[in-house]
Amino acid sequence: MLYGNQKIYYLLERVGDSYMKLETGSTINIKKKKKKKKIWDAWLLVIPTLAVFIFFFLIPLFFLFITSFKTFDASTGIGGEWTFQNYIKFISDPFYLGVLWRTVKIGLITTLVTIIISYPVAFQIAKAKGKVKNYLTLLVLSPLLISMVIRCYGWVILLSNNGVINSSLMKLGWIDQPLELLYSEFSVIVGMVHVLFPYMVLSIMGSLERIDTSVLRASQNLGASSLKTFTSVTLPLTLPGIFAGSVMVFSLSVSSFVTPSILGGPQVKVMSYITYEQVAVMLNWPYGGAIGFILIFIATITIVFYSKILSKSKKGVAIQ
Amino acid sequence: MKKKRLPSFVLNFSCLLIYVFLLAPIIVVLLSSLTTTEYIVFPPEGLTFRWYAELLEHPEFIHSLLLSILVAFLTAIIATAIGTLASLAIVRYEFKGKEAIVQLVGSPLLIPSVVFGVALLQFYSWIGLAASPLALVIGHIILTVPFVVRLVVASLVGFDRSIEQAALNLGAGPFKVFLQITLPIIKSGIIAGAIFAFITSFDDLTVALFIVSTDVVTLPVRIYTYMQYQYDPIITSISSIMILFTIVLMIIIERVLGVGKIFSSKNQ
Repeated sequence: MLYGNQKIYYLLERVGDSYMKLETGSTINIKKKKKKKKIWDAWLLVIPTLAVFIFFFLIPLFFLFITSFKTFDASTGIGGEWTFQNYIKFISDPFYLGVLWRTVKIGLITTLVTIIISYPVAFQIAKAKGKVKNYLTLLVLSPLLISMVIRCYGWVILLSNNGVINSSLMKLGWIDQPLELLYSEFSVIVGMVHVLFPYMVLSIMGSLERIDTSVLRASQNLGASSLKTFTSVTLPLTLPGIFAGSVMVFSLSVSSFVTPSILGGPQVKVMSYITYEQVAVMLNWPYGGAIGFILIFIATITIVFYSKILSKSKKGVAIQ
Repeated sequence: MKKKRLPSFVLNFSCLLIYVFLLAPIIVVLLSSLTTTEYIVFPPEGLTFRWYAELLEHPEFIHSLLLSILVAFLTAIIATAIGTLASLAIVRYEFKGKEAIVQLVGSPLLIPSVVFGVALLQFYSWIGLAASPLALVIGHIILTVPFVVRLVVASLVGFDRSIEQAALNLGAGPFKVFLQITLPIIKSGIIAGAIFAFITSFDDLTVALFIVSTDVVTLPVRIYTYMQYQYDPIITSISSIMILFTIVLMIIIERVLGVGKIFSSKNQ
């Protein structure tokens, strides 16, 4: 259950860049005398992780980045010449720009729908107490533990032409022909909302729980209706949570691969899918690499943008 | 009070619908594995465990399940071990480049897995590392160490080091102090890290898709490729086994750690 939660905190820290310093910075400086000897201890402790990360994460990504500036060679995959052509090809071809736009569009719609359906759930959980609260949280987070392939597969069964939704609509006589629900942007968005919804709930719940209840009581004592209290007190106070959740959901959505490839397939090509396709089907490594790095750029730029806004509006205030 | 009742009814009702939405695909998979038909249908027609028996005729699914468990198990152990050591360094020492290491260890969460998968495949083919459980485990270690470090760092922060000091003063060696004092106190963080490493590895399709070969196929990849060509209830029965496996795992965790405990640490 902490899975989603940790990821949220992690991303929040990355963008806010404050928790980690708080957590790690304050506990050190205990002993400065044995410093020299201790530095060696520290390096011994991090070296296994560092070695694995350098060899199997940094170096592979660096090589892929280099590859993305190479020409394509039909026999070996990677040619010998240096070129910017892969990036130029992407930004000058309407097809690939269309894929980029579709990826961003699906990300934006997913984020919006996720906000709308997460808010009531976060509100209900924040209001609940004791055991009920634990069980509701468990209910919301438990899908995170079930394999994503299987969850998407469940949506395939539900949305297919002879699936539950189509057959019940036909039985009711509302439609004569099954709707083409599967392998469309619609099914990809449904699947993504389903996968990413818990992250948004946790993010909004965090900011709901930080609201001082005396503020709400004050608002009610001053004669505001519960609706008025909600729109002018609760909602504005939870905007940072909504905002942080949106950044996370959007960046996870544009980089996700499993959901769009199972529920969209070749009919709904997104950035991650064409990265896969270029490498695994076309064997065009340089172009696949270039698309991959454009995807990294899109997925992280929102977070950078967010942290810029955050640091402008004074970290402390925004996070609270 | 009457005014308040309607909004809370609306709230509870809409939440109920959302919970149905949340559980629908999982319940559909579980129930449609019991159908007597040759194709997947929901609601299932009839009731049979035939498709579970049929799995025995598809040993490749069983092999993949066992491989996935093996890879996830090794990933969990190695990622937890190295991640815990790194967390100790991050929390307890001040050294040059620490901030960079913290950023590096966290960055796999920000890189789309598909790009990491491509990069790793290219690198493996260059160094000549063929598809093997080891190749998968290495990839999964990168994906899971960030979680382990986050969880263990969280359990190390706020650790009262005077207890360790006391043990040292009483004559215990540093290794003994670590095993008998430090480890038991940060145990829950380490166990949680191992569990999430296991689940992340067990669930991974994106990175594994690039690394697998015809002999070495993890279960998510097996299911993914199978369902591109066939649409029979075998998939739902193996998926149901995976779901039940996860539920059993969660019940064990609940017994060991307690749901309340996990949540109380989170809510604060």
